[in-house]
Amino acid sequence: MSRPVHMPALDGLGVRVSAARAAAEARGETFYPGASRVHLAAFPPKERWDDWVELSSRAWPAREERHYTLVPTTCFNCESACGLLAYVDAGTGRVRKFEGNPEHPGSRGRNCAKGPATINQVTDPDRVLYPLRRAGRRGAGRWERISWDEALDALAARIRAAITEGRQNEVMVHLGRPGEDGFTERVLASWGVDGHNSHTNVCSSGGRTGFQFWMGIDRPSPDHANARVIYLISSHLEAGHYFNPHAQRITEARARGAKVIVLDTRLSNTATHADYWLSPQPGSEAAINLAVANHLIQTRRYNEDFVRKWWNWKEYLAACHPGRPVAFETFQEILAGLYAEFTFEFAAAESGIDAAVIAEVAGVVAGAGTRFSCHSWRSAAAGNLGGWQVSRTLFLISALLGAVATEGGTFPNAWNKFVPRPIHVPPHPGVWQDLSWPEEYPLAQNEMSFLLPHFLADGRGRLDTYFIRVYNPVWTNPDGLSWMELLTDEQKVGCFVALTPTWSESAYFADYVLPMGHASERHDTHSYEQYDGQWIGFRQPVLRAARERRGEKITDTRQVNPGEVWEENEFWIELSWRIDPDGSLGIRRYHESLERPGTRLTVDEYYGWMFANSVPGLPERAAAEGLTPLGWMRRYGAFEITRGQGAVHEQEVPDAELTDPAVTPAGRVYTSAPPGGPNIVPTGAPEPDGQGRRPAGVVVGGVVRRGFPTPSGLLEFWSSTLAGWGWPEHALPGYIRSHVHPARLEPGQLVLLSTFRLPTQIHTRSANSKWLDELSHTNPVWINPADAARLDIRRTGDLVRVETEIGHFVAKAWLTEGIRPGVVACSHHMGRWKLSGHGQVSAGGMMATVDLGRSAGGWVMRARDQVRPYESADPDTARIWWSDTGVHQNLTFPVQPDPISGMHCWHQAVRVGPARPGDAHGDIAVDTGKAREVYRSWLELTRPAGRVSPDGTRRPRWLMRPLRPSPAAFRLPDAGRASARSLP
Amino acid sequence: MAVADDQLQRWVKVLNQDACIGCHACTTACKSENEVPLGVTRTYVKSVETGTFPQVRRSFQVTRCNQCADAPCADACPTGAMYRRDDGIVDFDKNVCIGCKACIAACPYDAIFINPEDNSAEKCNMCAHRLDVGLEPACVTVCPTQAIMVGDLNDPTSRVAQIVGREPVTVRRPEKGTRPRVFYQGATQATLDPLAARRPDGGLYAWATQGGEHDPDHVAAGRPGRPGSSAEALLCYDIGHHAPWGRRVSLYTWTKGLAAGGLLVPLILILAGRMSWSDDAGRWAAPVLALAFLALTGVLLIWDLRHPWRFYLIFTRHQWRSWLVRGSFIVGGYGGAAGLYLAGSLAGSVGARQVAAGFAVPLALAAACYTAYLFAQARARDLWQSPLLAPHLAVQAMLAGAAAILPFALWLSPRAAVTGAEVLLAASAAAHVLLVLGEVTVTHPTEHARLAAHAMTGGRYARFFWPGLAAVAVGVAAPWAGVVVVPFALAGLLAHEHAYVQAGQSVPLA
Repeated sequence: MSRPVHMPALDGLGVRVSAARAAAEARGETFYPGASRVHLAAFPPKERWDDWVELSSRAWPAREERHYTLVPTTCFNCESACGLLAYVDAGTGRVRKFEGNPEHPGSRGRNCAKGPATINQVTDPDRVLYPLRRAGRRGAGRWERISWDEALDALAARIRAAITEGRQNEVMVHLGRPGEDGFTERVLASWGVDGHNSHTNVCSSGGRTGFQFWMGIDRPSPDHANARVIYLISSHLEAGHYFNPHAQRITEARARGAKVIVLDTRLSNTATHADYWLSPQPGSEAAINLAVANHLIQTRRYNEDFVRKWWNWKEYLAACHPGRPVAFETFQEILAGLYAEFTFEFAAAESGIDAAVIAEVAGVVAGAGTRFSCHSWRSAAAGNLGGWQVSRTLFLISALLGAVATEGGTFPNAWNKFVPRPIHVPPHPGVWQDLSWPEEYPLAQNEMSFLLPHFLADGRGRLDTYFIRVYNPVWTNPDGLSWMELLTDEQKVGCFVALTPTWSESAYFADYVLPMGHASERHDTHSYEQYDGQWIGFRQPVLRAARERRGEKITDTRQVNPGEVWEENEFWIELSWRIDPDGSLGIRRYHESLERPGTRLTVDEYYGWMFANSVPGLPERAAAEGLTPLGWMRRYGAFEITRGQGAVHEQEVPDAELTDPAVTPAGRVYTSAPPGGPNIVPTGAPEPDGQGRRPAGVVVGGVVRRGFPTPSGLLEFWSSTLAGWGWPEHALPGYIRSHVHPARLEPGQLVLLSTFRLPTQIHTRSANSKWLDELSHTNPVWINPADAARLDIRRTGDLVRVETEIGHFVAKAWLTEGIRPGVVACSHHMGRWKLSGHGQVSAGGMMATVDLGRSAGGWVMRARDQVRPYESADPDTARIWWSDTGVHQNLTFPVQPDPISGMHCWHQAVRVGPARPGDAHGDIAVDTGKAREVYRSWLELTRPAGRVSPDGTRRPRWLMRPLRPSPAAFRLPDAGRASARSLP
Repeated sequence: MAVADDQLQRWVKVLNQDACIGCHACTTACKSENEVPLGVTRTYVKSVETGTFPQVRRSFQVTRCNQCADAPCADACPTGAMYRRDDGIVDFDKNVCIGCKACIAACPYDAIFINPEDNSAEKCNMCAHRLDVGLEPACVTVCPTQAIMVGDLNDPTSRVAQIVGREPVTVRRPEKGTRPRVFYQGATQATLDPLAARRPDGGLYAWATQGGEHDPDHVAAGRPGRPGSSAEALLCYDIGHHAPWGRRVSLYTWTKGLAAGGLLVPLILILAGRMSWSDDAGRWAAPVLALAFLALTGVLLIWDLRHPWRFYLIFTRHQWRSWLVRGSFIVGGYGGAAGLYLAGSLAGSVGARQVAAGFAVPLALAAACYTAYLFAQARARDLWQSPLLAPHLAVQAMLAGAAAILPFALWLSPRAAVTGAEVLLAASAAAHVLLVLGEVTVTHPTEHARLAAHAMTGGRYARFFWPGLAAVAVGVAAPWAGVVVVPFALAGLLAHEHAYVQAGQSVPLA
């Protein structure tokens, strides 16, 4: 049959370089087994990473050898932080490709589509290579190249002036993709500035809030691999934190027979693989959770022992049922009545899902025991008013089953995460940033970032220097044109700096565009909860590491990056140094070398100190290989600190930690011993007692155990915080009817789900990856055929007009059975644009060119040019075969902040119909005046701290908060107003 | 399980669609590993939605070369550039690829493409360059859910051997007899059958466009119209596909028919006693027509190669199972015979011409008919699998030859020869019309053939097909209308060739 024209010659190469089991083991090297479980290795032996020889795929079948230095780094294309291995070509000195890093405990060598696509970002012909300063008016698209020195000096002078003149609150750094654990916060703390802003309130705050009120920790860490039942209000097989690591483990569990339950209104890839796909009416998810919980309660199939030990039921009884005996049986009796109304029929009526299906799911959940893992992150929690109750009611199920920090259960993330203490820890800033943490939202999970344009329009302040970092507020946030109005107003934002690896819709309006590196061009550390263990990962400029391995001395990442692309670590150190050149402001010392006082801290020393002093086990592991801890991390990229952390809350607190202990009647235990340990992972920080002793544990079963970082030290079924801060009606896990609940929709309105993600896209950086854009480049509106027929939308591809409260967008229709009737959906990421007239910058070859103008009704955007092939340094850009870029729907959404979590409630009540004459695909119309009205109407839902604070503070101090300011800064400006209040 | 052919290492792959999450990591990992340009791909994840809300599912299929044990691409390749290694990998050598696209036409899975960087055919080769240094293929190592596995079917401890032997697995299009060595676990008819799922309207997929806005050879995936073999199946994602053989190949079938018929028809007239050996039409026009159109045929064929300067490899590296090779030798032989015939004319030697004619008649028939075998080597292009195609091509050559010689006969020959040519033209036109009508009215054995025939008679190519048929039908009037029918017959034939060649490639295979 076969004709061996070119059988591979046994030229000895196979033996010389083979990574196969026998060859590798014969040489005493590491064999990395792969999925196939054969003699083939998944990765080259780590012993050969200095000079790995591969055959060229392009020269094949000629056996041309290529020599590579393999350097690990960390993917930057979502928050999963999966390991990458850069293949640095020994001949060209460039990165040839990225594969996975087998030494990474979370991703275990595997990646999603976005990992290999990192090379597209590195070689992106549109990337920003040099610092730029605007040359015309803001947004005019004219730029001049400047030196880093010019940029640094100008910015340092502004920031120094702001600090010395007491205008700390005029300096803000707004993060999109953080991709690191604490560096930026530390820099801001060193400046004494409460200027950290994040994207979290348009992302995961709703999900976090529900978890935090339970356990004082805002992220779940499900042990999917060992679960019997996996309950997802998310699409973790294809998107979200942490999709690749979680998909691996969910799939393992499925192969073992675990049942997967997925609540998602649209058919996701995850829903496809679910044993039970529930497509609920958006906003009804908490009702379903409560029906499941009620089933557990009514059938007494909950873990009574766990509930008795770990719920704060005593506190609840004392506060809410003062006349009743504080006995567990009393609580059980009350519990049985609390959720009795949440029958399967009730949930069915709310969700549109058959009651029998919900009953079956409840039965499956009840059979899970403590092997019940769950996750709720964005999705419903990010879509609905009261969405935070989706995760709070979900965790109620875990807490009823006792599936908390059990094998196959759900852990608080802090126990599966490790943030090493850095070399310098500046004090908490003494100021409070009202623009991020306004009085109206004392319980907001994170900064009220997306309201910034409205706050500034209210006259609540101004910004002197505003940084964005891998963040595209005009594009990402709802009501982006209000952002554009803000960013073009020099009275409100004095200096706007974009720290960015790519051009973006926001960077066009910047005063400075400062290029920062991609995954392989920057330093960061991170640690994420992806299984029951703790690891840290290291992102590094791979060419720096490769050249250092060859003996070169690299002192600045710009020496290896393309053009003058830098990294934030070195940038912040240098900027801080220039803000305080003589050290008189007390800033410089946090950026100063310990080894050589008076000189700048280097990234080598920063990370070298961290790895040597704050990562248990790493120095010993490195020493065993004759490496420094930093050298070890540069070589392997990730280190697993613990595996099988187990139930930390159950751990007994050693006597040594209980210096001068105090125990409250409720069993909270305080100690005078200072907090120990190098892990500074963010958690809730319950208040010290009256003597300043810190909470160290809680008495459970007669023993002092670590418990949870909540005020009670227990799982808070009833939240004294919610009760005490004006929301007693929501202090228990409950069901809040969404702003898009059918009862609130006007006749003819549908619900638009606008948040779903594709596995192939990177928020607003996808247009800089040709492979990802080729795979997915448009976002038609999913419409059920039944709705389409009713709305006179005849075929897939027909243009539809989707009207929101403040405007409309025009998109193509995608008729699909994968969406509930009455609901439409449009995926996130798409509709990237650049303004016409911005021809001077080579920006956005894979973005549409739009005209943006004002009409009587507000802003109007229309695509002038779609994507088309173009000549560049990359021959592939001449092969772009698609023209569609989708539609930028977020522009047409008003801000809809949840009054408790502060989360933007993404779901929109919309009207959908055929496009009108003259409409074109991608059209946007927005009335920012109406956007103001919507902002004001949602603001009215709030209960401001000035009215409800029980103790004269702006915010419960125990709640998590980035860059937590000093205690004094927590005081309300007019503390007298509220200090006399008692608990409601 | 007796899948293994012998005791050598036998690489196979298992694609576990129960585990596949449709994330496309394999797609970009492959692009990265093999530096695959935009617009082409060695592997992608097809996505199909089935069912009616709320019982709906999205099914995935990692779609790529099947490493067939009986690889049509290797059979069709004229130079051995596409070949099967002893370990079962169907590999390729770009240095000897002439870019004829016969492999692409032959592949029942549409898994091969021409790389625009080097103009040579390529496809998944299991990352042979990695296997040979002991590494798993790039798609295997990247896959988050370990849904892709490689292994040795002859090693019973290998995971793939266990799965292939003990689990329900399927292959794509087993009816094509290619014996694929890529096995699917948990795959569904909705994805395996290229015509199961309906092609979405509006040039759209769920998150991408179908492409082909500016590509005349674009073949959109999915079944046009209603869904096929799977209930309510809707194609959600696929890639752009391309017909390998474009207008130049349509034209080639026509010029080659003319070349074959140009000499064959006068020789038949001579043998039938309607034309004498000394007739100038037979003596000069016939060989010149044959050689001129042969030359044109050669130019078209070489022009259609993506590596035209490598055309000689067909002769120096010939791979005999390829009908492109056999055809080239036939055409070459026929050219030799026609040349000898012309030399006889020049030398005034009837004897030499008679000897040449003895070669030319069978070679002309072979030159006319071999294309049926060339097309049939494209196993999944069902329209081309007709057993009547070879005789039909002979008829077409007669039609073309008669039409071409008729004006010369009118000019140079006595009435008997003219009448003979007219009768032959009329007869072959009638036969053509009957064969075509038979072709399009018969019930097609497969859905693919039916859709291809529909593309010809009612779809994209109807505007060539029907005028072409009518024009050829005009040829039936030759005995009465004479030479005036010639342009109709020839133009009609050309239109038919184009409709037939393109319609045959218009049905998606993946």
